Amino acid sequence: MSSSVAAAVSPTRQALRRARKDRSARLGAVLVVLLVLVAAAAPLLVKLSGQDPYTYHLDLLDPARGNAPKGALGGVSSDHWFGVEPLTGRDLFSIVVLGLRTSLTIAIVVTLVTSVVGTLIGISAAYFGGWYDAVASRVFDFLFGFPQLVFMIALGIIVPAGFPRWLLLILVLSVFGWASLARLIRNQARSLVAREFVEAARSVGSSGWHVITRELLPNLLGPVLVIATLAIPGYIGAEAALSFLGVGVPPPTPSLGRSISDSIAWVYTGADPWFLFFPGVALFVAVLGFTLLGDGVRDAFDVRLRRTT
Amino acid sequence: MPDLLWFVIRRLFGAALVMLALSFAVYLVFYAIPADPAHLACGKPCTPDRLEQARHFMQLDQSAIQQYLSFLKGIFAGRTFGDGAAAVHCNAPCFGYSFPLARPVTTLILDRLPITASIAIGAAILWLLFGVSLGVVAALNRGRLLDRLSVGVALVGVSTPSFLLGLLAILVFGFWLNMVPVNGYVPLTESPVDWAWHLITPWLVLAVLQAAAYIRLTRAQMLEELNLDYITTARAKGAGETRVVVTHGLRGVLVPIITLFGLDLGFLLGGAILTEKVFSMQGLGDLLISAVAQLDVAVVVGVTLFSAFLIILANLVVDIVHGVLDPRVSHG
Amino acid sequence: MAEPVLEVHDLHVTFTTEGGLVPAVDGIDFSVAPGETLAIVGESGSGKSVSSAAVMGLLPSNAATTGEVLLDGRELIGLPNDELRKIRGNDIALVFQDALSALNPYYSVGWQVAEAYRLHHDVSKKVAHRRAVEMLDKVGIPDAARRVDSYPHEFSGGMRQRVVIAMALVNDPRVLIADEPTTALDVTVQAQIIRLLDDVQEEFGTALVLISHDLGVVAEVADDVLVMYAGRAAERGTVRDLFYRAAHPYSLGLLGAMPRVDVPPKPRLTTIPGTPPSPGSIRTGCPFQPRCAYTHLVGERCITERPELTPRPGEGDHEAACHLGRRPEALL
Repeated sequence: MSSSVAAAVSPTRQALRRARKDRSARLGAVLVVLLVLVAAAAPLLVKLSGQDPYTYHLDLLDPARGNAPKGALGGVSSDHWFGVEPLTGRDLFSIVVLGLRTSLTIAIVVTLVTSVVGTLIGISAAYFGGWYDAVASRVFDFLFGFPQLVFMIALGIIVPAGFPRWLLLILVLSVFGWASLARLIRNQARSLVAREFVEAARSVGSSGWHVITRELLPNLLGPVLVIATLAIPGYIGAEAALSFLGVGVPPPTPSLGRSISDSIAWVYTGADPWFLFFPGVALFVAVLGFTLLGDGVRDAFDVRLRRTT
Repeated sequence: MPDLLWFVIRRLFGAALVMLALSFAVYLVFYAIPADPAHLACGKPCTPDRLEQARHFMQLDQSAIQQYLSFLKGIFAGRTFGDGAAAVHCNAPCFGYSFPLARPVTTLILDRLPITASIAIGAAILWLLFGVSLGVVAALNRGRLLDRLSVGVALVGVSTPSFLLGLLAILVFGFWLNMVPVNGYVPLTESPVDWAWHLITPWLVLAVLQAAAYIRLTRAQMLEELNLDYITTARAKGAGETRVVVTHGLRGVLVPIITLFGLDLGFLLGGAILTEKVFSMQGLGDLLISAVAQLDVAVVVGVTLFSAFLIILANLVVDIVHGVLDPRVSHG
Repeated sequence: MAEPVLEVHDLHVTFTTEGGLVPAVDGIDFSVAPGETLAIVGESGSGKSVSSAAVMGLLPSNAATTGEVLLDGRELIGLPNDELRKIRGNDIALVFQDALSALNPYYSVGWQVAEAYRLHHDVSKKVAHRRAVEMLDKVGIPDAARRVDSYPHEFSGGMRQRVVIAMALVNDPRVLIADEPTTALDVTVQAQIIRLLDDVQEEFGTALVLISHDLGVVAEVADDVLVMYAGRAAERGTVRDLFYRAAHPYSLGLLGAMPRVDVPPKPRLTTIPGTPPSPGSIRTGCPFQPRCAYTHLVGERCITERPELTPRPGEGDHEAACHLGRRPEALL
C-alpha cells in the first residue's frame, strides 16, 4: 500500500529511514562510532593519560600476593585509569585502547580485503558461469570444509619467524573469509543475471566489464554492505581468539586477546580478576556494537541472504 | 528407497575425493616448512652427518610426493621407520609418527579424542535443546516479552567470545561461589558423576554461546515458515496450533538447523581449542597447540587432517540427513 | 430454494496496520445452500479471499471480524479456537489457489490426505491411509494406490490440485470454499478441475463457494454470483442476472473484459480504466466512482453518498449498489 509512495525514494534512502527507527541499530551505530573514535585516537588518548603500554611499574605490585597490583580494582588510580597489569605493572588503559586499535584495524582491513575479493569473484562467477563458476563453487566448498582455526594455528609452524605476524593474521583471516561473502554474492548475482535488464545490456553488445560494473555491482552494493558489516564482529572475535591462543600479534604490541589469555592465571587464583574485566569488556562491547549495527543494516536493507543456490 | 541409496553412494564417493585432495594439499603445505624437524631430533652436537642420518630415519630425505605416498600407504598398511633394533613401528592405520613424543599420531589423537568429544557432544545436546526451543518460543511470541528476552539473550551470546564467557564462569562459579571445579578432566569410565561435574561449566558456557546462533536461526526460519501457505492449509484442515507448529512448521525448519548443527559439531570435535585452553583440558586442541610450539609436524598434520576428516564426515552426514528429511533432494 | 447451510450477514473485517485501521471487508452478506454454487467475483484486493478466511476463522491476529457467520444456524464468529478447529476441514473445507505451496513438501500426499481425515475421525493410520487412497482415486488420480506415497513435487500442477481437492473432501464437508482453484493451471487442466468440482458437488451435495475472477468459470458452474469491489458488494443475483441484466457499471466492465462466444464479437475487448482503490482509501461516496464512466449521469451523489444495495429487475434477489437506477448498458 505504501509502495506507491516509497517507489519515489531510492532504496538507500528507504534503508536509512528504516534504520533511524530501529532502536538497537541506533545503539549499535553509537557504539561503533565511539569504538572507532577511541581506536583512531588511541595514541592521543594514551599520551593524554600520561602513560605508555611498555613501561614496567614494579612498585605498584604487591609481592605478597604474587605481584598482583596493589589497591582496589586492579590498581585503578588517577595515573592508571584501568589499573595496571599484574606481574609487570604496565598501564592497562594504554594496553586496552591500543589493543582495541589493533583489533579493529585488523578486522576492518580483513573486511575490506574480503569484500573486494569476494565481490569480484562472486559476481564474475555468476556472470561468466560455466567451468569458472563450477571451480569457484568447489573452492568455496573446500574452504568451508576446512578446519580453519586448526589450520590458522598450524600455519604458525611453517611461516618464518621474520614474517610480520599482523600481516599473517590479515592474510590468514582473508584467505578463509572471502569465500562466504563470495558465495552469497554469487547467489544474489545469479538471480540478477537472469533478469531482463542484464539480458538487455548484453544484447546491445555491452562488454562483460561494463555489465559487471554498471549493471550488477550497483544492484549488489546493498547485500555487500550488509554481509561485510555482519562479518566485522566475526573478524574481531577471530583476531582475539588467535591472539588468545598465542598465534596473534606478538608482544609487546598490545592485544585484547593476549591480555585476556594472560589473565587466566589471575582469574583461576582470584588474585586479580580486574585484569580480565577491562580487556574483556572492551572486546565484548566491540563485538556487540558491530553485531547490532550489522543486524540493523541487514534489516534496513531487507536483504534475505539465501544460502541455497 | 533406491533413490536414497544412490544419493548416499554418490555423496560418499564425493566425500572420499575431497578428503584425498585435502590431505594432499595439507601434506604439501606442511612439508614445505622451512624449519627442519630433523634438527630437533639430531641431538647435540648436530653434525651434518647425524642430521643426514636423522633425516633418513624420519624419511624426510624423500621427495614430497614420495612422502605423501608413504603416508597414504601407512594408513592402510602401517609404516616402519629405520631398520634393525632401532626401528620404529607405526601400526595401521598410521597417520604419521611423532618423534618428539615417541608415539604414533593415531595413538595420540585417540588418547585425546575422548576429552574433546566429551566437551563437544555434551555441549551440542544442550545448545540444540536450548536454541531450538527458545527460537520456537520467540517466533510464536513475536514482538512480545518472551521474544525480546530470547533475542536479547541471543544477541549477548553471539557477541561474547567463548573464552571470555568461560573465564567469567570460572571466576563466578568456580572461584567466588566455589560451586564447580574450574579445570581438570575425569574419564567417564572412572566416575560418570565426576566426569559430568567437571564438564558442566564448559558445557554450559559453550551451550549458551552456541545456542544464540540457533535461537536466531530457528526464530527467523520459523517466522518465515509460519507464513507459508501449507501452514494455513494445516490450520484449514483443523489441526491444532501445537500440531501446526511442530508437525508442519518445525519440519521445514529442521533442515537448516541440522545443517548448522552438523557443521558446528564437526568443527568442535576437531578440537574445542578455545574451551580446552580456558578449562585446561588436554584434548585435541591442546595437542595441536603444543605440537605447533614443538615443531612436531607429524602431529600438526595428523590433527589438521583429522579435523578436516571430521568436518567432511559432518558434511556427509548432514547431506544424507537432508536427503532423508527433504524428499525433494533425494527423489529426483 | 433449499435452506442455506452457510449464511454470512454484515461481515466486516478490519486490519490493524502501522498505517492505521484498514477495512478489507466492509459489510457483505451472502448465503449458500447444499448442492448450490455461489461465486464471489472481483479483482485482487476486493476482499474476496479475506472473506473466505474470515468464515474459516483463519485471519491473522491483527484482523478484527464482526458480523454473523452462521453454519446451519450456528454462529461461528467468537467461537473458541478449539470449537472452530472441529469445524475447519470437517464442516467447511478450503481449496487454495496454488496447490504446490498449499501442500507440505515434506510429507507424502497420502499422509496429508490421511492427516485431514484423522484430525476429525478417531481411526487407525491404516484406515486413514485406505481412505486417502479412496479419495485420491475419486478425484481422478490414476493408479492412486501407488501414487499415494509420492511427494507433492512429483505431481503435475493439475494432479496436485486434485490432491488438494481430495484433502478438502475427505471429511465430506458441508461447505467447500475454493479460492481461485484454477488460476495457477493450464487452460485445459482448468476445465478438468472445474468439471471435477462440479461432479463432486453433485455427488456429495456440497455447498460450493467459488472465489474467482474468471467469469468464464463462473458462468459454467455458479448458481448465484456476488460481485465485490473494494470490500463491498457491488452487485448480487443469479448467474443469469449478472450475465444478462448486469446493473452495476463495474460488473459490466468485468463482462466487457471477458471474451464471449455467445454474443456477436465486439471490435475489441474493453478494460476497466484505472486500478482498484486500496482498501479504506475511499471514505465517502461510491468506491467505484473514480473509475466509473457513468458518474456524469448521476452527478454529485456518486461522490458524496455511498450507494446501498437496491433491488433490480431479475430472477429473484437481484440487487446492485449503484445510484444509477437504470441498466448502464442502455445508455451507451
